Formats: sequence, C-alpha cells, structure tokens
Amino acid sequence: MEIIEKIRTNKSRDNLTEIQKICLHKLQSSPLPNLKSELWRLSNKSKLSNFLDYSFNEKDSKFDIPYPKNSQSTIRLIIGENCQIKLIEKNYSIQQLSEDELQKYIKEQISYFDQNENWSDLLNLSLSCKNNILGLNINGSKIPPIEIFSHASSNSLNAKTLVIFLEKNCEVELLQVNLSEENSSLSQSTFFCLKENSSVNHGVVSYGENRSNLLNSLNVIQQNNSAYNLGSLHFKFNYARFEINIKQSAGNAKTNIKGMQITKKDEQISTYTKIEFNGPNGFLDQINKSLADDKSHAIFEGSIIVPKIAQRTNASQLSRNLLLSNFAQIDTKPQLEIIADDVKCKHGATISQLNEEELFYMRTRGITLTEASKLQLSSYFQEIISFIPISKDKWDLLDKLLNEN
Amino acid sequence: MVNENLVKDVVKEPYKYGFVTDIETEKIEKGLNEDIIKLISQKKEEPKFLLDFRLKAFKKWQKMKEPDWAALGYKKIDYQDIIYYSAPKQKEKISSLDEVDPKLLETFDKLGIPLTEQKKLTNVAVDAVFDSVSIATTFREELAEHGVIFCSISEAVKNHADLIEKYLGTVVPASDNYFAALNSAVFSDGSFVYIPKGVTCPMDLSSYFRINSGDSGQFERTLIIAEESSSVSYLEGCTAPMFDTNTLHAAVVELIVLDDASIKYSTVQNWYAGDEEGVGGIFNFVTKRGKCLGKRSKISWSQVETGSAITWKYPSCLLLGEESVGEFYSVALTNNLQQADTGTKMIHIGPKTKSTIVSKGISAGNSKNSYRGLVKMGTKATGSRNYSQCDSMLIGDQASANTFPYIKSQQPNSEIEHEASTCRISEDQLFYLQSRGIEFEEAVSMMVSGFCRDVFNQLPMEFAAEADKLLALKLEGSVG
Repeated sequence: MEIIEKIRTNKSRDNLTEIQKICLHKLQSSPLPNLKSELWRLSNKSKLSNFLDYSFNEKDSKFDIPYPKNSQSTIRLIIGENCQIKLIEKNYSIQQLSEDELQKYIKEQISYFDQNENWSDLLNLSLSCKNNILGLNINGSKIPPIEIFSHASSNSLNAKTLVIFLEKNCEVELLQVNLSEENSSLSQSTFFCLKENSSVNHGVVSYGENRSNLLNSLNVIQQNNSAYNLGSLHFKFNYARFEINIKQSAGNAKTNIKGMQITKKDEQISTYTKIEFNGPNGFLDQINKSLADDKSHAIFEGSIIVPKIAQRTNASQLSRNLLLSNFAQIDTKPQLEIIADDVKCKHGATISQLNEEELFYMRTRGITLTEASKLQLSSYFQEIISFIPISKDKWDLLDKLLNEN
Repeated sequence: MVNENLVKDVVKEPYKYGFVTDIETEKIEKGLNEDIIKLISQKKEEPKFLLDFRLKAFKKWQKMKEPDWAALGYKKIDYQDIIYYSAPKQKEKISSLDEVDPKLLETFDKLGIPLTEQKKLTNVAVDAVFDSVSIATTFREELAEHGVIFCSISEAVKNHADLIEKYLGTVVPASDNYFAALNSAVFSDGSFVYIPKGVTCPMDLSSYFRINSGDSGQFERTLIIAEESSSVSYLEGCTAPMFDTNTLHAAVVELIVLDDASIKYSTVQNWYAGDEEGVGGIFNFVTKRGKCLGKRSKISWSQVETGSAITWKYPSCLLLGEESVGEFYSVALTNNLQQADTGTKMIHIGPKTKSTIVSKGISAGNSKNSYRGLVKMGTKATGSRNYSQCDSMLIGDQASANTFPYIKSQQPNSEIEHEASTCRISEDQLFYLQSRGIEFEEAVSMMVSGFCRDVFNQLPMEFAAEADKLLALKLEGSVG
C-alpha cells in the first residue's frame, strides 16, 4: 500500500496546502480505518489494499467525455482541468469559490470528522491538490443543467474533490459522473451545502472498467426548507464504496434518495448512508436497490438518526435486493436510532430473486426466459434510473446495464 | 395533548418481588480463579469431564474481552468482587418436599410458585432454583412415568452423566462469547429436561429462578433435549430482591431438537430493574440458543422482558434440519433508566427452513431499548424463508428506540423480508377510547396490550395474563 506508506512517513510532496497538512496529520497516527469496526468489517481487505496500491497521480491526463452534450445549454465541467469558471448571466451565476472560502468551509467540516467514519474524506483531502478541488457557488434561477466529471486514469490513484454551495431559493439539476479507466483507483469526495429554500436534483453515476476501484463520499448539509433529491447508480467496479452522509441541520427539510448498485464477477460494491435529523419536521424517503450476480458481494448499511430535537420526523428506508447467483452474497443492515417520540419511522428490507410467477406468465405469452428476465430487470432498474437527472436519454444507462457484460 | 400528570398520579406499585428471604446460606469467598472452580465442582461432586469442561472454559474466558458492541452503557463489572457459589443451608439429602426449609417454600409461595402439594393442582411441573442451587422439582414421578426426565442439572450430572457429556456445550460452546465462557466455568445449577422419542410432555415444565443474595451472581445452565417426534412447552420466570448493588446474571440455555420434535420456550423476565434513579438492578447477560438438528424440527422462543437494569440477550435458532422452523416472539419493555439490547439470530443452514421474528419494543422514561437481530441464509438453504417484523413504541421524549437488523444472504433461492416501524401512542386512538368513557390510563394500557398482542398470543395461558398485568404495572407513571 504505497499511499499509506507515504502518509505514514510523510515523505510525500512539497507545497502541501493547509488542508492537506491537517488531514495528513490526522491520518498519520492510524493511516487505515479500523477494519473490525461496523463500517468497515464487510469491506474486502485485499480489494481495499488493491485500491491503495496504485501510485498517486497528481496531474490529469487528458480524457474525452464519452457522450455528446444533448443540449447546448448544458454546462459541462471536468474536475482537474484548470479552467476558471465565472458564469454570470441575467438570471443566475455560477462562480468558482475563492480559496479562502474553500479552506474555511473544508476546515470546518474536518473539525467534525471521525478518523474511522470519515476516513475516505480524510484520504481524499490529504491527496487532493489545488487543481483537483472544484468549488462552486451557484445562485439565481433558471439555471441550466450542470454535468460534472471526475476521471481516473489507468494504473494510478486519482483524488478529486467537489464543493458546491447552493444559495437561497436556488434550484438546480446536477449530474456527477465518475469514470474510472482500467486498473485505476478514484477517490471522490463531494461536499454540498444547500441553503434555505434551495433544491437540487442530484445524480451520481459511477462506472468503471476492468479492475477499477472507487471510494466515493458524499456529504450534504441541508438548511431549512431545502430539498435534496439524489439518484445514484454504481456499477462495474472491482471495489467501490459509496458513503452518503446527510445532515438536516435544522430539520424542516426534504430528502429523497434512490440508489442502486450492481455487482457482477467478483466485484464488491457497498453503500453506507447516515442521515441525521437535527431539527423537527424532517422528511426522508430512501430506497436502495442491489443486484448481485456471479461471485459478487453487494452491501447496504443505512442508518437514520433521530435525536430528541427532531420531533415529527417522517422517515422511511427500504432496501430491496436481488440475489441472482448461488455464489453471490448480499448483506443489508437498515438501522433506526430514535429518541424523539413524536415520529414516524420505518424501514424494510427484502432479499429474493426474480419473481418466478411473473417470469412464468411472460413465458406463457411466448417471451423467452432471457427476454422475460431482462424485462423484469429493466422495471427493477427503471425506478432508479428515471430518478437520475439529465442522464435520462443520452446516457443509455438501462441499455448499458442490461446488455453489457 | 396527553395529560402527563394523569398517569403519574396512578398508584405506583413497588416491585412486589423485592423482598429478601432471611435464610442461612453457605457462600464461598469472593473472586474467580481455578481453585474456586475446583471448589464449586467439588461441592457438586462432579465427574472429571465436567471439571475439565469448566477449567477449559475458564482458560478461554481469561483470554476473552468483554463485548462492547451492544448499545449499552454500564459501569465496569469487577469479576473478582462476585461470589460464585451461594446456597441455602439444607439437610444433606432431601427425599421429599416436606424436608425443604419452610422458609424457602414460603419464599416461593410468596412468589406464587406452586411447590407445595396443595398447589400442584395447577398442572405445571416446577424446578425452583434459589441462588446457586435447585431447591425442588415437582411432579417428577408423574413425568418419569412418561419417560420424561426433569430435574436440576446437578442431579442430571450425577444420574444422567452420559446425556450431559454428549450434549453439554454442543449448542453454545464454551468459547462462544465472553458471558457463555464465564457461565461454562462457574455454572452452579439450572434445569435439565429430556423428552424421549415420541412423547408429548403431559404438562408444561417450568423453572423459576430466584436470586436472593446481593453479592453473589447467578449462573444457571439449562439443557433441553427433545428426541424424535417429541414435544414440550417450557416456561421460565425470574425475580430478585431489591438491592442497591448490581447483581450479575449470566445464564446459558441450550436446546436440541431432533426429527419432527418441537420445543416451545417461554420466558417472563422480571428481575429487579433498579430504582428510578438507576441504582441497583440485575445485569442480565444471557446466551440462549437452540439447534434444530432434525428434519421438520421446531423451536419457538417467546419472551417478555420487563426487568433487569441491563439486558443483553439474543435467543437464537440454528436451523440445520430440512424444513426446520425457528420462531421468535418478543416483547421488551424498558422504563426509567433500564437498557435492553435484545433480539435474535436465525441462521438458516438446511434447505426449506423457515423462520419468523416478531419483536415489539416499548421504551418509556429515560430508557434505551434496542432490537438487534441477524438473519442469515447459508449457501445450502434453498427454498428458505424468513419474515421479520420489529415494532417500537416510544413513550415520552427521553426514551430511545433503536433497530439494528443484520441481514445476510448467500442463497438466491431464498426469501428474506424485514420490516420495522417506530411510532408513539396515537393520540387519535387515545382520544377515541377516552371519548367512549375509558379512563386515560386504561386506554394506554389497552393500546400497549394491543401493540403486543401478536406476541402475547404465543405465550402459554398462565403467562399471557400475567404478562399483560406486568406491562401495565411497569408502565405506570411513565406515560406522558
């Protein structure tokens, strides 16, 4: 684990930013997370060490976005391409955060970090250099859709960080795409701050190639009356971990999450979510779907935390899983931790295979087993895919999921 | 809004089993080491294999660490400050109940346990355990006629050593967990049940555990074996006096079920829970596990957990036999400063195995009530099914309810369904009942009882009525 060794000996690089120094310092005493802890015990140790085996790549190699823009108005940004962003139009503005603003915000976040719980972020921030941090302030109305790309090139470990401030009363559609080339590792951390009355439809699509790895961490702070909708999809990773951390800082906010992970071969993809309600009248509707085939392993752990202050919280969480092979495995653990008494919280979890009766019905109508299975799967996928903004048509996600591999 | 004071005004009935029996007891010195274990074994005149079992367990225990993963907070237990053997002084051999110290009989009388002849009419055979030893077992002759063995485990060690040697520690090995290892090293008494092939036990069997001394722990061990096509219903009750100190209770229960046999194991746990300030109370760390070895075998756990300052308990089923069935029905109520981390493990190993989990948690006062369960489908568990339902009810805004279900599947041909909900007592329903002239506290009691109905229905008759009353009693003064 080259990276860990570097962190430990601190022989890495000169010109470290203050944030990098703080994070390195935090990591030095124990550079790896506690693999026996609840958050890491199911993680495949050799895959995690494989993630850390690549040498760190600071400079980005050029890469081509595999899909054309579907409309001219869409704004496309690539993290790492050192472009100055300053879009000031009549109705809206999208501006790069100043270094001071960035530092101040990230520093504040780090102060709450727990070495184990936020290890992915600490690693990311200790590696991400100035060029690989993109900070945006979005303000105004009628904002065109935004696409943001993170990319990992072959045989290297890449770290990308995205910070977004969404100003008051602002509405935006944002699609984040994480692409990993063969034999690569990508560490992606995203920090989202939704101010009052703002709303975002956030899509996260991550897919890799042969033997690519991903550590994707998403931290969201929601202020009063904000609405955060997340549609996410992770597939084709040797090892991927998606950590979602959402805090409704004063309650009164809405969160909708629809996520999906698909594992094949010997892949391991896991999703960990932690949703905290720090005020009354919070709302959460979450569904997470997993599909595990071949010898793969899909993991979901979701916790909902409702302290005493969060009265009248209404939260529901559902984990639906399809297990398609005798050698695959699924672990799921939805959890509720509740102290407030005037709340409605529920969770559910199911693990099964494709519905045989439905398959039989279709086959009696002359549809082949393969086609019938595909039809069933497409309806299973569609619920999530239709929730991912912008991507709907051009990304052919459904087609990718059904016909590749 | 619900009137908080209304219920607080309801007469607060104290823990009615909190009395101490003043009886001469034989205690060994405090502390735990190999000599103490040898002394316990010697006092019980045990064969060598059992002493070896104990010593091996002790060695393992010394290397283990007390588990800290449960959502429980309690002050560290000093294992050297506990008396590991305490027994009421009695005549050497007791041939009939008449020779039992009347004070002991009186104690169990007070607890409502029918040991004396005139009370035997209730048709439940009882094994009464007082501190570290079994005092009496009723109905033994009647049971013997059917070939059923029901006695204390110490007697079983003497009279049925072969069965003990064959089965002890096969379901819960000594190294299973910290508390099971401790129990394996120092267990003093408990019940032993053997139901021979083809026999349906003619009456319910029951154990009653009573802790009397404040400084000794209770470490009982129960072993129940149901041979092919047999069945038994077993009841367990527990109480303890009120002490300011915390008393440790670490028990192990092992069930073994062969082809077509079934065991129904019901518990009403009412150990002293400590006072409103959280002073005193029993630390209850129990390992209960059943092995469905045979085809179509069945284990059903039902429990009503209302007592103990700390509860750490996960009655589990290992479903090995084809088409074997595991069930878990639980009501856990915590009040004041009680903490409970309880649930079950259903490990599906054999094909076509089925399990059902119904757990109801009620937390009131400043208490903490967690459900923690594991459902696992092994690679060979084709056609298996699990259904789990965990509901929590919160009473008052200081109590906490947590749900931690662990679900793991390695078999595509199986189905797992889990659902959980958390809510409070519905004000609409309360209003409805009150508008029909039902008193507030009675309405709350009715709703709690309704909430727990699925579980109470699974309890044997004697327990169901008692459980209802127990819940109402425990909740008094806590509804707001």
